[in-house]
Amino acid sequence: MCFKNLPVEFDASGKPFLRNGVGDPYATATATPPEGPRQLTSDKIEELLKRNGHIKNMDFDPVTRGAGALAFHTVADFENRKIIEARSVATLFRGYEVIMVGRDPRDAIYITSRACGVCGGVHSTCSALAIEMAIGCCPPPLGVLIRNLALALEFLYDHPLHLHLLAGPDYSQVIVEPTNPSLYARATTTEAHHTAIHGYRTISDLMIDLNPLTGKLYLEALHMTRVTREAYVLICGKYPHPQTIVPGGMSSTINLTVMNEMFVRLSQFFDYSKKIALIWDDITTFFYESNPEYKKVGARRANMIDTGIFDHPEAYDTTYENCNEWGNRRWATPGAVVDGKLVTTDLKTINIGIEEFVEHSYYEDWTGEGQQQHFPTDPSGNPLSPYHPWNKVTRPRPQGQNWKEKYTWDTTPRWDRQAMEGGAYARLWNTAVAQKLPDSPFLESTGHSLKMRMPAGALPETELEWHVPDVWNAFERNRARAYCMAFTTLVAFEQWRSAMDRLKDGDFKTSTKFEIPKRGTQQGVGFWGAGRGYLTHHLTLDRGAVANYQIVTPSTWNASPTDRWGQPGPYEEAVLNTPLLEETSDPAKFRGLDVLRAIRSFDPCMPCTTHIQSEGGLITREVNTCACGLDD
Amino acid sequence: MRVIAGGVGYPDLCDYSIGIEVQERLSARDAPANVVVEDLSYNPIAIIQRLEDEPVGDRFGRMVVISAVKRGDRPAGTVSCYRWDGVMPAEEEIQRMVTDAVTGIIAVENTLVIGRYFRGLPDEVVVVEVEPETHEFGAAFSREVAEAFDGICELVWRFATDDDSVAELPMGSLVLTAVPVFRFG
Repeated sequence: MCFKNLPVEFDASGKPFLRNGVGDPYATATATPPEGPRQLTSDKIEELLKRNGHIKNMDFDPVTRGAGALAFHTVADFENRKIIEARSVATLFRGYEVIMVGRDPRDAIYITSRACGVCGGVHSTCSALAIEMAIGCCPPPLGVLIRNLALALEFLYDHPLHLHLLAGPDYSQVIVEPTNPSLYARATTTEAHHTAIHGYRTISDLMIDLNPLTGKLYLEALHMTRVTREAYVLICGKYPHPQTIVPGGMSSTINLTVMNEMFVRLSQFFDYSKKIALIWDDITTFFYESNPEYKKVGARRANMIDTGIFDHPEAYDTTYENCNEWGNRRWATPGAVVDGKLVTTDLKTINIGIEEFVEHSYYEDWTGEGQQQHFPTDPSGNPLSPYHPWNKVTRPRPQGQNWKEKYTWDTTPRWDRQAMEGGAYARLWNTAVAQKLPDSPFLESTGHSLKMRMPAGALPETELEWHVPDVWNAFERNRARAYCMAFTTLVAFEQWRSAMDRLKDGDFKTSTKFEIPKRGTQQGVGFWGAGRGYLTHHLTLDRGAVANYQIVTPSTWNASPTDRWGQPGPYEEAVLNTPLLEETSDPAKFRGLDVLRAIRSFDPCMPCTTHIQSEGGLITREVNTCACGLDD
Repeated sequence: MRVIAGGVGYPDLCDYSIGIEVQERLSARDAPANVVVEDLSYNPIAIIQRLEDEPVGDRFGRMVVISAVKRGDRPAGTVSCYRWDGVMPAEEEIQRMVTDAVTGIIAVENTLVIGRYFRGLPDEVVVVEVEPETHEFGAAFSREVAEAFDGICELVWRFATDDDSVAELPMGSLVLTAVPVFRFG
């Protein structure tokens, strides 16, 4: 059975229904998650802090080398070298849902793009998909292919940034040598396994080039952002906020010249991807072999969620009714992974299992007595929780910070009432296990791994293979992200090849005309993904205007606070499991490196907003920033 | 000497869009052959890469940037002009700025510091700062900034086209944005 906590079962034909005899099926006492990690109570933490000198607060505010505003509170036991409390704090509200209400739905494509300074295109696309579903407008095949290609390029901007500008410096010489001198000394004498591909003889050589600002890998990542931007703007006009994404496809003019210009850029990732994947293989192996305790850094249960991405042009028909079918033909398979096991790949099942809670968030609940649930079912008649995004109402309520009550602007999304994480790695995991990939000479899903045959560039043709890992931790997140660059490159190449075939056949049509209905109520959902993973936009239209708009991003899941059942959010859980491995016994000298490695491995991308006036006062920041993190 | 002039800011943020509005106004003018007016409101790393595309022997010698800068110790609409002294923050701060830059923050101090660090900026940088008042979504300036707008356009134009007026400018320092804060009024 797919759901273990929600009272939802499936009939013989696979249609979900609410279990008989459950009076209030979505009451929080009715469906309680199983035993698992729980935070200690704040009272218990306070008592431990008072009684033990070796237990101290360790706060990170802001968490640097992440996008946007994230703070992190921990309580560390320095004697036992572990974290006993972890609280993830999104310090800014962005309020795109509030901004969207009452607007023409087409505005969503341009407004929600501003949610993020890296992945504006994924928000635009997700909006377009939600609108397409709501109004019934299907893009032509070339439009689907070009959209896939554009978004793959956006990911190829994002992956190097994460690996070598944000997370990478945590493994660099300037950070490792002072915090773990004996580990660095070992790195100077440890030969790298994949020198023939990436060119680094020892691990310390590699660490030196991971140094921020001056390291060759850092600078190369900056250069590669240019390569992808150049390819991206050929079809999207601008980066990071594309101008050509529309409901029903793309408004770009695509011809052989554009495609050839694009290929010149894309092909540079054939070699770069080989190098990056094997660099992160070598880093991971070195740390594991040096000290197996590193396997605990950022470790948590492998609970992941992803809606899949990159539609098949012959399968995608925009409808919710058929979303299981077209979802399962995507180049990245949708899926929910619980305790390392893929439990579904059906988009409807993924969708109806999603709920958002606000117990520890600066929002008011929208459910309860006197409140009407707008949608008891999805458009296919499957049961929906009152906490589902289609039923959610965003009601910001700024107030003081209190670990027992409210402490973050992030909400608490849960699937089947469990803390899931979103990431590029979920995309790999689902695709590797599900074995539903379209036929490809370059990509193969084996059920336990994903084989990627990278074409020759200056380097020879190389087969990379990402294996579903035995442990789930910070190193595996980064390694998977590195392999995801190769995966994304090949998916992009496949789209490019298919688009070229269509152009050769005289098919230049990239969009379908559409009209926004001025009557009635329509629902849509964009199931897409950011470079960082999961993304959904749930949309309700009423008489041609947006009546409700809800965004859930990967960092909404990952940065979520402890839930009403005491289950920590993914960052929190990962940090609670992280040992303190720096080579000092003096708390004053701790830099919290392993805690930061744990957090940064998720690639935090937090809210950007400039200002929202609410009853509680003005919330402001001097500058805009990326906001793929939080939706409200 | 070749000159590039442009605004740094976000669209539709009232006074904080002054850089973009000025740049758009000036783009409509016929500029001398040595002057380029263009949008500089994007990722500073990409701006460096764009500047590096100029021919090696004929790169820009001066950049004129116009932006809203909140100093808080002068009346709204106040215009301050100076030649940037090029004083750089610590490397840790520069690293933070690069992170901000590649993840979407557009700010004049990031543009200049990152540009200078990676040796992408022209040798001479003129900054035209405007003290903003209104900080919210919208197309309208505050009264103070609206009244100053025409004069600001003329100033930027002058610094782009008149070497002598630039020579008379004092040296000045940037305001480096503090780390994120949140507060409730």
